[in-house]
Order: sequence, then C-alpha cells, then structure tokens
Amino acid sequence: MSTETVDYTQELPVVEESPKAHQIEAVVAAPLDEYPPRAWWIIFSVTVAMLLFGAYCVTITFYKGLGVWGINVPVAWGFDIVNFVFWVGIGHAGTLISAILFLLRQRWRVGIARFAEAMTIFAVICAGMFPLLHLGRPWLPLYLFPYPSQHGVWVNFTSPLLWDVFAVSTYLTVSFVFWYVGLIPDLATLRDRTANPLKKTIYAVFSLGWRHSNRHWQHYERTYLILAGFATPLVLSVHTIVSFDFAVSVMPGWHSTIFPPYFVAGAVFSGFAMVQNVLIFVRSAFKLKHVITLDHLEKMNKVMIVTGSMVGYAYAMEFFIAWYSGSQFEQFVTLNRALGPYAWAYWTMISCNALFPQLFWFRKVRRSIPVMFTIGVLVNLGMWLERFVIIVTSLHRDYLPSSWGMYIPTMYDIGILIGSFGLFFTLILIFIRVLPVISIAEVKALLEGAQPRHD
Amino acid sequence: MTEKPLYAVAALFDSPSAIMHAAEETAKAGFTKYDVNTPYPVHGMDHAMRLRTSRMGYFAFAFGLFGTISAMLLMTWITLVDYPLVIGGKPFWSWPAFVPIAFEVTVLSAAVLSVLAMIVIYFKFPNVGHPLHDTAYMKAVSEDRFGIYVQAADPLFDEAKVRKHFASLGAVRIDPVYVTLPGVADRPRLFEKRFMGVLAATAIVTVAVTYFSLNKLLYMEPFNWMMDQNKLKPQKPSTFFRDGMGQRQPVPGTVARGFMPYPFKGKPDDAGKYLVNPLLPTKEVVDRGRTKFLTFCSPCHGNFGRGDSRLQGQFPSPPTLHSDKVRNWPDGSIYHVITEGQNVMPSYATQIPRDDRWAIIEYIRVLQRAQNPKESDLK
Amino acid sequence: MSTVTRDLGNPLRPMPQGVVRWGWILLLLGAVLSAVAYLLDARRAGYDSVILVLFLASLAAGAVFLVALEYISGAVWSVPMRRVSEFLASLAPVLPVAGILPLIHLQDVFPWATQGKAIADHVMQAKSPYLNTSFFVTRFALVCGIWILFFWLFTRNSRKQDTTREQRLTTINIRLSAVFLPVFAFAISATAIDWGMSLEPHWYSTIFGVYYFSGTVLAALAAVTLAVVLLLEGNYLPKLEGDHLYSLGALMFAFVNFWAYIAFSQFLLIWYANLPEETAWFITRWHNGWQAVSIILIVVHFAVPYFVLLPQEAKMDPKRLKFMAVWILFAHLLDLYWLVMPSFDQGVSLGWSELSVPLIVTGAAILVFSWNMGRHNIVPVGDPKLERALHFHL
Repeated sequence: MSTETVDYTQELPVVEESPKAHQIEAVVAAPLDEYPPRAWWIIFSVTVAMLLFGAYCVTITFYKGLGVWGINVPVAWGFDIVNFVFWVGIGHAGTLISAILFLLRQRWRVGIARFAEAMTIFAVICAGMFPLLHLGRPWLPLYLFPYPSQHGVWVNFTSPLLWDVFAVSTYLTVSFVFWYVGLIPDLATLRDRTANPLKKTIYAVFSLGWRHSNRHWQHYERTYLILAGFATPLVLSVHTIVSFDFAVSVMPGWHSTIFPPYFVAGAVFSGFAMVQNVLIFVRSAFKLKHVITLDHLEKMNKVMIVTGSMVGYAYAMEFFIAWYSGSQFEQFVTLNRALGPYAWAYWTMISCNALFPQLFWFRKVRRSIPVMFTIGVLVNLGMWLERFVIIVTSLHRDYLPSSWGMYIPTMYDIGILIGSFGLFFTLILIFIRVLPVISIAEVKALLEGAQPRHD
Repeated sequence: MTEKPLYAVAALFDSPSAIMHAAEETAKAGFTKYDVNTPYPVHGMDHAMRLRTSRMGYFAFAFGLFGTISAMLLMTWITLVDYPLVIGGKPFWSWPAFVPIAFEVTVLSAAVLSVLAMIVIYFKFPNVGHPLHDTAYMKAVSEDRFGIYVQAADPLFDEAKVRKHFASLGAVRIDPVYVTLPGVADRPRLFEKRFMGVLAATAIVTVAVTYFSLNKLLYMEPFNWMMDQNKLKPQKPSTFFRDGMGQRQPVPGTVARGFMPYPFKGKPDDAGKYLVNPLLPTKEVVDRGRTKFLTFCSPCHGNFGRGDSRLQGQFPSPPTLHSDKVRNWPDGSIYHVITEGQNVMPSYATQIPRDDRWAIIEYIRVLQRAQNPKESDLK
Repeated sequence: MSTVTRDLGNPLRPMPQGVVRWGWILLLLGAVLSAVAYLLDARRAGYDSVILVLFLASLAAGAVFLVALEYISGAVWSVPMRRVSEFLASLAPVLPVAGILPLIHLQDVFPWATQGKAIADHVMQAKSPYLNTSFFVTRFALVCGIWILFFWLFTRNSRKQDTTREQRLTTINIRLSAVFLPVFAFAISATAIDWGMSLEPHWYSTIFGVYYFSGTVLAALAAVTLAVVLLLEGNYLPKLEGDHLYSLGALMFAFVNFWAYIAFSQFLLIWYANLPEETAWFITRWHNGWQAVSIILIVVHFAVPYFVLLPQEAKMDPKRLKFMAVWILFAHLLDLYWLVMPSFDQGVSLGWSELSVPLIVTGAAILVFSWNMGRHNIVPVGDPKLERALHFHL
C-alpha cells in the first residue's frame, strides 16, 4: 500500500479486522489472567530500581533538608518545579483524549481513552509529589489547606501556589472519578468472566454490583457526559493555574499574558507525545494493533502538530512583543535565553518543539512507527527543557546584575527526576496487568453491527 | 425447604435490533417493572423503553453552584471578617484572585457529588446481592448478548404469559431468575453485616493512624516541629565547656545595652570632683527624692537623716547625714556612696536608678538645710 | 449503506428580492451615516471605521477559518453547511474597501501615525520600525491578500467539486488548510495588534492576538449559525436534524467559554502584577462610565450566553440558537467597541455614528449572500462526505 488514496465517502472503521464482542473481551482481558512474561519482569525491575533510587534521594532530602538540592538564591526554583510542571503537562493528554475528544464525538478515542486516563492519574501523582517535596517541612502538608486551626491563620488565597494546591488535587480527584466511572462496566464484565474466587470478590466489590441495566446506562451516560463537560474546562484550568505561578509575577520572561493558553497547548503537546510513545509498546505487546490502529496513532500525531504549532506561535509572539514592548529587561531575557550560559537548553528546546515535529506534516512520517516514536521522545525532551529554560533562565539573571547566579542540579535533583519516571512507569506496568487497558464496553459499542440500524 | 421465590423471567437476544424491538413490545404490552440489560448502551433504547430523560444535569448544576457559593463565601469570610490581611497592596476582598479556587471547587463539587448521587441515589449501589448476579443470564449479558426481564412483582406478571411474550419476540433463551438473598433485591440494607464490618475497620484504622501521627510521629525527628534542637538554651548543660555549663559569662568589659558603666568605681574622690548633679531642686524632684529617701534610706538613716532609725544602738550605728562631713561633701561624693556603698552600707546601684539617686541627694540637701538653717532662711 | 441521495431541493434558489433590497438599504444607510460622521467628526469616524475593519475581518477571516477547520479535522456534520461559511467568507474582498477610509486618515486615530508626536515620545520612537504608516498599510494589504487568496482557492476547489465530484479536490483543500492555518494565526494576530493594540502604543499584551481570535471564531460561528437557521426556515437547506445544530450550539458554547477564559487570563495577570504601564489599559476601562460597559460586557458576552446555551436541548433548538447567534454578534460588536473606543475618549461615548458599523456589516453580509445564492449551490452537492453528513447522528 504505497499510495493510499482516501475514500471520503466511507467512514474509517474505528476497530480494524471486524472482531466480535467476545473476541475484544478475550484479547483485552488476556493480560489480566496470565502470569506476566519475562519481558515485563525485566522492565519492571528497571523501573522499580529507578523508583528506589528516587526514594533514596527523597529520604536524604527529608533528612538533611533542601540544601542537598542545587537550588540557591537567585535560582530558588529548579528541578523541583520543572518536574512538577512537566508531569502535570503529561497528565493533560489523558483528560483531553478522554473528555475533550468525547465531547467532540471523536469515536477513535475509545481504544486509547482508558489507558490515557490512567496515565493522567499516574502523571498527576508524580507531579503532586514535587510541591510536597520542595516544602521546608513536608510533613506538614495540611498547612496548605484552609482549615480552622489553633493558630487562627488561614492560607493565602491570593497566591497562585495555593491555587495550584486546589487545582492539582481537584484534577487528581476528578480524573480518578472519571476513570473509575468508566471502569465500572468493565469490572462487572471481568467479574462475570473470572473463575478465580478472590478476583471475583475484588471485581464484584469494585464494580459496585453493576448489572448492565439500561435504566442505569441512561444515567451513566448522562453522568459521563457531564463529567466530560466538567473535565474539559478543568484540564484547561489546571495548567492555566500552573502558568499563573509564573505569569502573575513581575519577572521578565515570566510575566506574559499568553502564558495560560501557551502552557495548556504545551501540556497537551507533551502529553500526547508520552501517550503515543507508551501506546506503541502496549499495542504490540498485547496484540491490540487492530484496536489501537495506525490511524489512531496518526491522528495523535496530527494533534501533536497542532499543539506544537500553538507552542511555536507563542514563542514567536513572545519574541515579537519582547521587542515591541521596548522593555530592556524583556529584551535581555530573550537574548540571554538564546545566547547566554543556558543557550544549549534553549536551542535544543527550539529544535525539539518547533522543528522536528514539523516532520509530521508528511503522511509517511505520521504513519512510520520508529520515526514517530523518536519525534515523541524528542518532544518530551524538548518540553522538559522548555520548563527548564523558562524557570532557570528567568531566575538566574533578572533585574539586578549583582544578584545573578547559576543553577547546577545535584545528584539528588537528578535522582528524584529519575525516581519520578520510575514511579510513573512502575504504576503503568502494574496497571496493565491488573486492569483492562481498553474500555471493553465502549469498544463493543462501536463494532460493526453493535448498534441497531437507523432506518 | 429450598423453595426460592421467583424474582423475574429473563430472556436473551443476540442482536441489537432484536432487543430494541423486544423492549418496545414489552413497554407497549404495559409492563412497568421490567428492565433491559446490554453489555454497552444501545442507541435509542431509552426511547424504546419510554424512559424519562435523566435529571443528572440538574443535580450536577446544583452541586456545582453549591461549590461556587461555598468557596466564595468561605474566602470572603476569611479575608473580610476573620483575618483580613493586606497582601501585595491589594484590597481585602480580591475577587479576581478568588476565581481560580472557586472554579476548581465548583468542578470538584459537581463531579464528585454527582457521581455519588448517581451511584447511591439512582443506582442504589453498592448492591452485590441482586438476584441477577451470578446467573447465566448475567454472564451472557456481560459478554455479548442482550437481555430483557420482567419482574414477578409487576402487576401484569404471569409466568406463562411472559414466557410466551418473549418467545414470540425471537428470544434465544428464556430463564427464570430466583431471589437468592431474600430482601436484598431492590433496597440496599444499610446495616448489612459486611458493610458495617468494613466501616468499623476503617474507623479503627483511622483512629490508630491519627493517634500514631499526632501523639507519636510528631514527637519524632524530623517531624517534631524542631522541638528538640541541638542549640544551647538557657540553663542547658554542655559538655563542650570545661565547667559543663551551657551558659557563659559575658566577656570582661561587656556592657549591657543602653547602659554606661560607672566610671568612678573605687574612686570616691574623683566622683566627688567630677560628678555634677544634673537635676535642679524643683518641687517634683524634691518630692521624688523624698519618696525614694523614705523608701530606701530612712530604714537606716532615719526619717530625717538623723541616724535615729531603729538600727541606732546596734553596732555599727548608721551615721547622721547632718554631720559636717556630709554637709560639706560635694553631691558627687554622696552619689558615689549610694552607688558603691561604704563600710557596712551596701551598694544601692541596682535598686535606685541614677536619676533617683540625684533626686535623693536634692532631698538630703533640703533636710540638711532644714536641720541647720541659717538666719536668712527664717525670713 | 444507503446510496439514495436525499432530496436537496433546489440548491440554486436565489435570495428573495425583498431581502436583497433590505441589504442595499442597510448598507447604504450605514455608508451614509459613516460619511456624515466623517464630515462632522473625522476622528470619531476614524475610530468607528477601526471597529468596522475589526468586525468585518472577524467575520471574513473567521469564515475562511471555519472552512479550513472542517477540512483539516475531517469533520462530517458540518459538510451540508460549509457553503454557508464559504458565502460568508465572500466578505473577504469587501475588507480592503472598508479599510480605505481609515488608511487614508491613520493620523486621526493612531497616536504613532501622527508625525510630530511620535518623535517626542521615545517609546513610540522605539517601536517605529513596526508602527509606521507604510509598514502598517503593507501589512494590511498582505493580510487582506492572504484571506482573499485562500477564500478564492478554497471556494474554487469546492465549487469545482460540485460538477466533477473529484475526491482529489478534498485532498487538495485539506493540504491547503494545513498551509492556511499557521498563516491565519499570524495574519489574525497582526490584525489585532495593528488595529487594536497599537491604539495604545505604550501598552502590550502577548495574548492580544489570541483574544481577538477567540472573538473572531465566535462571531463567525454565530453568523454561520444565524444564516443556517434562517436558511433552514426558508427551506433553502435540506432538512438537518437537531444533531447537526447541536454541534453548532456546542461550538458556540465552547467558544463563549474560551473567550471568557482568555479575557479573564489577560485581566488577572495584569491586575495581579499591578504594573502601571499595563494596568493603565484596564483602568481606562474602569472609569468615567466605562466600568458600566465593562460589567455589561461580562454579562452580555459571557454570563447570558453561558446559561442560555448550557442545557443540551438549547444547543439543538433552532429558535434559541437564532436568538443567541444575534446576541453573540452584538456581544462581539460590544467587545470591539470596548477595545477601541476608550482610546477615542476617556468618557463613554455612544452615538449615532457607531450605528454605521452594524448597518454596513449586516447589509454587506446580506448582499454577499445574495450574490452567491443563485450563482453557486448552497449545499456542496459534489462533496464525498455529503451523504454521510446528511445521515449524521450523534
């Protein structure tokens, strides 16, 4: 199939090879019944090792204090906040696929929604650790919430750092609820499939007694729509609020009104890159290539180019307005990013975010697994570097030259970053063996012959 | 006696069109206590079953509004009433800053409470004891068959009639469904044994964790609020210093703040020569001097400085202040005696502030003049 | 799969003469008002014409954007209505005409265009490589050229497909969209910055282009929705179900939220940092009567459309959609008025000359529609996705 001409009169089937409902069920439920293969154990041991190393670095940080990190004055925010923003961004793809594509009636989402939502939850867990780790007294996180205390003081409602607390915890909760509601019918199906009494009890408890009753489906569908309707502005608001951490300040390079949509677009961009990367493995490992098809991956790449272009637009607009504003501080920050001591990060970021993804304009690139995987990795690298550039370059040289400094991460900074990746992938590995990675019920609903004919 | 009551008669179909048709016919036949079970939502089934539109939207709206109002009220009360603080020069009630939090709370409240309402109110879940669970019917419906059943509790129910009705619609399989756990069918029992057990276990675990956290963990390093620090506190011993005391004497020559050392220590003659009374003998000064004299000096020197206090006669007697020696002393010498003491008289430096000493001296001068008046004074 | 084509009626039915006549009346009335205003108060007329340019650009460029969006996203539900967007995009050639008046008298409106003043102010001096008359005119010409070019290319291919039914033309248009969208992003930003932001040369905001974009898409959506509902009522379009209209309603709802989000973000960041050079813009809009307009803007542009379009049934109901479409168009006009007029006068001034804008735009829109209807099919009869689109169900 070298030159494929698309026939626009036909609708592309969401699932290829026309499987039957019970076949879908069998292939999706298979990993849950089988003992994990050796490959899984090998990867699992690597991710657990990363996680343990990260845990060690965290322990040292708690014991000795934040001085073991590379943060200093003026660069008071380093890897901790870069990683926080990075992981929150990764999480956005899941909600977008789940909620926004649902609202846009894009049916191709069903093969990837469950997995993407799970990834969101794990990414937000990884993200949520960092604000706690970077506290001076991490064992007092309840101070972050407004509760009536003996001290008589409350939290500062005007601080974007507090808005973050509400936003990230709401995001985690609502994403989890959304994911769980989607799981209920599948857990019921698994309950009715399994012969193992322990598994049956667990599935029965967590499916709450779901009977696939249409009287329930009616409310279920409406609630799912409402959740999607709420999750959409929620996901936009979360990264907007994260962007407020920077944009409400007066730092040059940070105080820019375009930050909210710029950050949201960047988040979706990096999130999709991560989802695409992981799905490439999952679909071949679990023989799901006919459910998570090349068409779906291609569509995800299209989303990446759209959001990547939005990020590119924001770069261009900031560059122009830095000149237009006439502010010497803005102009200096712009030049310092490109030519200063962190120029290596800046130019890597530009190539990874604005240049390489442009290859996705070409259909051949969009449909080539090795190339799209590479671009996905580069995008993740580029987006991590973008947060690094934004945070570190604006802080290390701001208004007063006598306050200028440098930021050099320590082993503990890097170790905690590695640990967060370890945590993320460990959770994914556990998830894929314990829960169905695809929403069985939703896919069944889309198969050929699944719905009555509209006559 | 294993006679289980009949709950319903259930039929299975194998195509979505068939189940739609079955649902329509069943609704048309006038049954009300029936339900359709499908492995996924079938489009148009709600209409076929003549179901009213779901009211979840109103719940969600109400919960969302509740979230917005609660968040705004809380933040308003805190920033306007309970603890107003000026932050960044902004007004106490900075509503733009409240918008992000109010939005998040709205979404949280709407999402979580709607789902809870759906599960508890609409579904009446959790309910794992429903008669349909664990039947072949349920297993088929979970996989890829479509089912419909009519409950025995329906007013129009008649087992044979219902079976015939389903058969005429092309059912693949028809089964009776029996109640396995009497009384569990439709209403969830709140005080069910296992549920209460889980509730109790959760309560115990929560209490244990809270107790441990608040009473044990918070006293352990590093969670103990820096209660026990390695720094020296007053009166703490220290092995670092030879004398084992944490508290050290000030270095010789250390001067307390706001204090000037007395320059004439041990030098009564210089004191008399160089010190000058800074106070004038005004009425206030003399009154003050009188008060202080009566307080501090009179117990030994007598109320009028004559040395005639109750200590007189004991060795050594307090001297009179009207002797020639004292009358001829410059003010500075008297000041020196009050400050340093003399013979048995101790130093009053710690008891009488410096200005008061000068006031006392003014009063002594008044007493001396009163005791030895000149001719001119009587006029 | 059914191969019977639905009855499309007569896709070449022309617009009734009565409506066309109204179009001419409104356009001429608006033009006369504008001319009279220019004679009486050239500066005010200049500001009104800025609002006119921004509003027309919103509708024209927004319509082309909607066409490109449909192609690049592969959307099916919008196919029967795409021609309506294409007709609306015919406003693109009208835009340069509307721009002539302000371009001749830039110095009446833009502080940086006044020769003597610019040199005295060192801030404007620094921006003069960008903010000078010749570059401004060049940019406007370029932007108009881009929109006219892509309007022509899209519609030419689309119309050709009516007769030849080649699927290749859809592929070409998809590729064209891929080129157009990034270009559009910069063109719309340039329009916003040039005509909106440079009215206050000391002020700047990186999100301004996005702000104008959100209003643009919303206005174009509203205009298309209004046209679709009116055409449905007149039986010009084939019978479209509630599901088709639902998507229009849902998109309008989404963009109302998006506009509010962008507007609030801009406000919050500037309010929070409290830098005088930035807050001056908002402070002008909070004094001397402008605070009432600001509050009305929030209510009209966000609160009312939000609550009216929130229920699912509302998004499918043609009557409510028609009402909200008109409402939103008025809201967009109010938004542009609020953006532009405070630079004219510290105090709120709303007079008869501002009326020329809605009159000219409505008249021009009716006339471009009447010119297209009867000449070109009102439904893209040759589009390969049309069959699927007519059977579209959510």
